[in-house]
Amino acid sequence: MILTIFFFFLIPILNGSLIAHLLWPERKGSALLLKFSLGIGMGLGINSILYFLALNIAPKQINVLAVEVVLFVTLGIIVFLRERNQKWERRRFLSLSRIQWGLIIVGLIASAMLVLIFVDQSIAQPQAGIDAWSIWNRAARFISRDPENWRATLSPDLYWHDHADYPLLVPLNVAWGWQMIGSENVRVPMMVGAFFVLASIGMMFATVALTRTIGQASLATLVLMGTPLFVWAGAGQVADVPVMYFIFASSALMFLALTQQNSAFLILSGFMAGLAGWTKNEGLLLIVACVVALIVVNLKELFRSLKFFLAGLAIPLTMILYFKSIAPPSDLFTGSSALVQILDISRYWMIFGALGRQLLTFGYWPFSIFIGLAFYALLMQIHWETYFDKGLQALASTILLQSLGYFLIFLLTPHELIWQLNTSLYRLILQLYPSELFLFFSVVSEPEKVFKPT
Amino acid sequence: MRLNLKKIFLALLVLAGFFSVVQSWLSTLNLNQGGAAIDAWEARLMPAKKALPIKRGVIGYVGEWDAPGISYAYWDQESEYLLAQYSLAPLILKKGAVEEWNVAVLSEPAFAAWQKANQGKFEIIPLKHNVYLFHRLANP
Repeated sequence: MILTIFFFFLIPILNGSLIAHLLWPERKGSALLLKFSLGIGMGLGINSILYFLALNIAPKQINVLAVEVVLFVTLGIIVFLRERNQKWERRRFLSLSRIQWGLIIVGLIASAMLVLIFVDQSIAQPQAGIDAWSIWNRAARFISRDPENWRATLSPDLYWHDHADYPLLVPLNVAWGWQMIGSENVRVPMMVGAFFVLASIGMMFATVALTRTIGQASLATLVLMGTPLFVWAGAGQVADVPVMYFIFASSALMFLALTQQNSAFLILSGFMAGLAGWTKNEGLLLIVACVVALIVVNLKELFRSLKFFLAGLAIPLTMILYFKSIAPPSDLFTGSSALVQILDISRYWMIFGALGRQLLTFGYWPFSIFIGLAFYALLMQIHWETYFDKGLQALASTILLQSLGYFLIFLLTPHELIWQLNTSLYRLILQLYPSELFLFFSVVSEPEKVFKPT
Repeated sequence: MRLNLKKIFLALLVLAGFFSVVQSWLSTLNLNQGGAAIDAWEARLMPAKKALPIKRGVIGYVGEWDAPGISYAYWDQESEYLLAQYSLAPLILKKGAVEEWNVAVLSEPAFAAWQKANQGKFEIIPLKHNVYLFHRLANP
């Protein structure tokens, strides 16, 4: 059954990877991993959009799988015709140093253990936590059980905790998976969760390897995998890890676009930002953060860069706008007096206090990972010249603006602030975590330099 | 000296990351997070789902918190309500006996108290495991 589910989802994932390759035809082996990692998110994103369109146009009458297969064959032919006379760069594995091999081996062992953690967690709690079944899989059930009346999942009569306003990338993929296998098998949402965990790991390694070194990539990936919250949230069948992935993808692609002066990355960045907004409402913040970051950092070439970013954003943004026009309003924007809350100093203390505690305990590490990385940065050399890199400035700006947005959400929430902080702060920090790690490992000296013979 | 410190710190970071993964894995061995509870709840509500004459639309949900004079644990009731919504999807559940058709999960004392307070207003269809259907009467 697991293999069957995997192969159904493999077709959209390959479609996503082929689209990434068509836009960015880099023929290095290391680029393959990045394209496959991007393909997972893009493929599942496109799949959800196709299924959403099918539900709206002719529910139960349009075969989305058939559309995906036609797309796969078409893309495959185009890629084949373009690539048949091209040469791919060969990676000489024997040219890796001992420290690189050591880090890769540790990383691979850690990856294998991560798979075991995911499986154990999924077996112990097949329906996952309350947010998974009451919000995301609940929506998937509405869609799969009554596709002709799927809009019932957006009903304002639903209890606020069911979050009828939440976007549908994850539930649509789960519902589609259930439709493919003909039953509401718990392995489908597990598989969707696993894809995003895998894609996040792949993206971390690939982006750092492309921009720094293999050793740095292995280290960054090990820190990500070593964060227990990352895999537990991934196995939790919630949308925090998918939106984390899309935020990371969009930010990293914008970094690559501005560093390597490649517009294709901007198109992909815009598309991923749109898919973040199609996954969770926090993704809507990301869209604004990315646009503002481009304005701040790339003013001289603003029109050109915005043009490509918005071109990528167009399709998912259209879905989001249509969805928001029929969905109920978010529970975060009901009642409450914004001015009173903005002027309430105690709220600021509460938020900063909670943030301070999270900085010490985030991720369920046995020590503070942020403090540990800070010491690491102090000891290792920081490449201060990278401060002038536009890509890095855009990445840092996006993270900062997204964080500011989260801060405002806590400041203005109509719910009890302590409850909101306790239930969401750690998840919001997780959403930015891989982007922050990527930023960190982009400026800190590589491990290879430590062992470089003098 | 500084170079040796760098090597030590690098090794510490690698070891910390690796052992964090190991510790995380060890913590998931023999893990039991009550995964069977949701399946049990769904099985408990299945007769109600089959007995309901409507398959889409809004129904009411009656819990211990609707029975006058009955003490209850709020979060238990909230969880049961959310579980009922998950189980009975795509039906939409509103709190209280506010619709024509309503599903109730009530202990015997709670059912007695609720029935006393709503005598004659509903046709009561008892199912297994303290689950009931309450059908609002047109002319109580």
